[in-house]
Amino acid sequence: MSETWRLLADDGVGAADGLALDEALMAGYARGSPARPPTLRLYTYRSHCALIGRYQHLEAEVDLEACRQTGTEVNRRPTGGGAILMGEGQLGVALVMRAPAEHPQELLQRLSQGIVAGLRRLGIHAAFGGKNDLQVGTRKIAGLGIYLDGRGALLFHASLLADLDIPFMLRVLRIPAAKLGDKGVEAVAQRVTTVTEQTSARWTGPALRTVVAEGYGEAFGIPLEPGELEPSERERAARLEREKYQTADWVNQLRPQHDATGSALVKTPAGLLRVYLSVTGSTIKNVLIVGDFNDYPEELARFEARLRWARLDENELRRIASRTLSGTPLGMSAEPLVRAVLEAGERARTRQQAAPVRHVGSCYFPEVNHAGGSRGAP
Amino acid sequence: MSASTVRVGRYELAVDRLYDPEHHLWVLPVSDTRVRLGFDPLGVEVNGTLAQLVLAPVGTVVRRGEPFGSLEAAKFVGPLVAPVSGRVVAHNPLAVGDPAQVEQDPFGAGWLVELEVTAFPAERAYLLEGAERIVPWFRGRVEAYRRQGVLAE
Repeated sequence: MSETWRLLADDGVGAADGLALDEALMAGYARGSPARPPTLRLYTYRSHCALIGRYQHLEAEVDLEACRQTGTEVNRRPTGGGAILMGEGQLGVALVMRAPAEHPQELLQRLSQGIVAGLRRLGIHAAFGGKNDLQVGTRKIAGLGIYLDGRGALLFHASLLADLDIPFMLRVLRIPAAKLGDKGVEAVAQRVTTVTEQTSARWTGPALRTVVAEGYGEAFGIPLEPGELEPSERERAARLEREKYQTADWVNQLRPQHDATGSALVKTPAGLLRVYLSVTGSTIKNVLIVGDFNDYPEELARFEARLRWARLDENELRRIASRTLSGTPLGMSAEPLVRAVLEAGERARTRQQAAPVRHVGSCYFPEVNHAGGSRGAP
Repeated sequence: MSASTVRVGRYELAVDRLYDPEHHLWVLPVSDTRVRLGFDPLGVEVNGTLAQLVLAPVGTVVRRGEPFGSLEAAKFVGPLVAPVSGRVVAHNPLAVGDPAQVEQDPFGAGWLVELEVTAFPAERAYLLEGAERIVPWFRGRVEAYRRQGVLAE
């Protein structure tokens, strides 16, 4: 390939202006505009920004009071998926191009190969895994997403974990492990990893930029040349920031289907497990199975990974369990685990219908005890 | 199997309607001026689990190639691209309320919107019509997606 990609680099961007620029870059790749090589933007947000997925419910995903207290900006990405924390420790990757003919499923994997190649240079072997992650083994090191606009342009987004302040993340994002204290930190640490952890050397987002740029050059066989924004891109970004990303209409929007969570307990010979589930309608968006493990069992990690984006359907869950839970996980049959997932999902769906706006602290840890229920909420 | 469907591999394909080959949407005329739109089962499968459907408000005028809504699927957020021009006159509340309907019954209960068409006679030429054109196209797409590893089998 003889083309040269434009490389953009910036650090410490705000939530609204950071997202606005990504979208502004897409206009140059709309159908009908002159063909041009892709643009790769490698950037960091100012510490910290909490960015929710395109169709998530802001108050359900982010503790707004904690954000106010800590000066954490909040905004909504154009890409799907869950809430993320961005700051100096996370490298943002935005690859913008004319949407190729390939299907997004294929593209997500292909466009992440630059990050894979970059990490390989550091001795980290990451691979596409889960539904939209890069993983080292079963642990996530980058989250990926694709946004196709209606005009033929594509934005590939990734958040690469150079490092991660897990306690801070649990303070500002409402994720199931948020109130488990040290156990919550441990639960997250079992599921994510960082470049810092993998290399035993402290890395930041900006320090990773060169490695990732080289990775893209290697994976796509192209040179990258540092470039500047065009005046029209600056103007468009400023307009999008003002008219979209800074508006309450965008940040606070509600959709008929929004995420809600529920939990359920299951007894195993190895102790109690709690299944936390986040669902959108009948789709499982996230799942966390917490117990007293010294080492998080790999089969549960596989089960969790396969549950993401599955339908909350009994037969579907049994199929996933039979494929991922070999033998008798934790000394029991898989069925009680499937039942617990269904029960957590049912609770989430009930809450979703009954209370479209989640109240602080009420969803991950419902307070009502179910009479006689060994799986009742605490 | 009804007379208006043909089995292609593991898919039961309705051939009583027209298809937009680029976006895997079907177009079913329901009156002289009105068409119903929906995903074909291959489109449903390659999009992955559908979590959100957002449809343009009733009354919105869309041209062929422009979005009449957007979706969040497992792998991406993207537009629903109109295969024909028209005005949105109805939504399927069942599909909006539970996008799983689109996967379970793409040709029936999982329809998306109805449009009052404005240029259908001319735009019909962009669509595939008749089993003799629909089936080879669909079979070709299934094979292509399998080669690309997008389909499970």
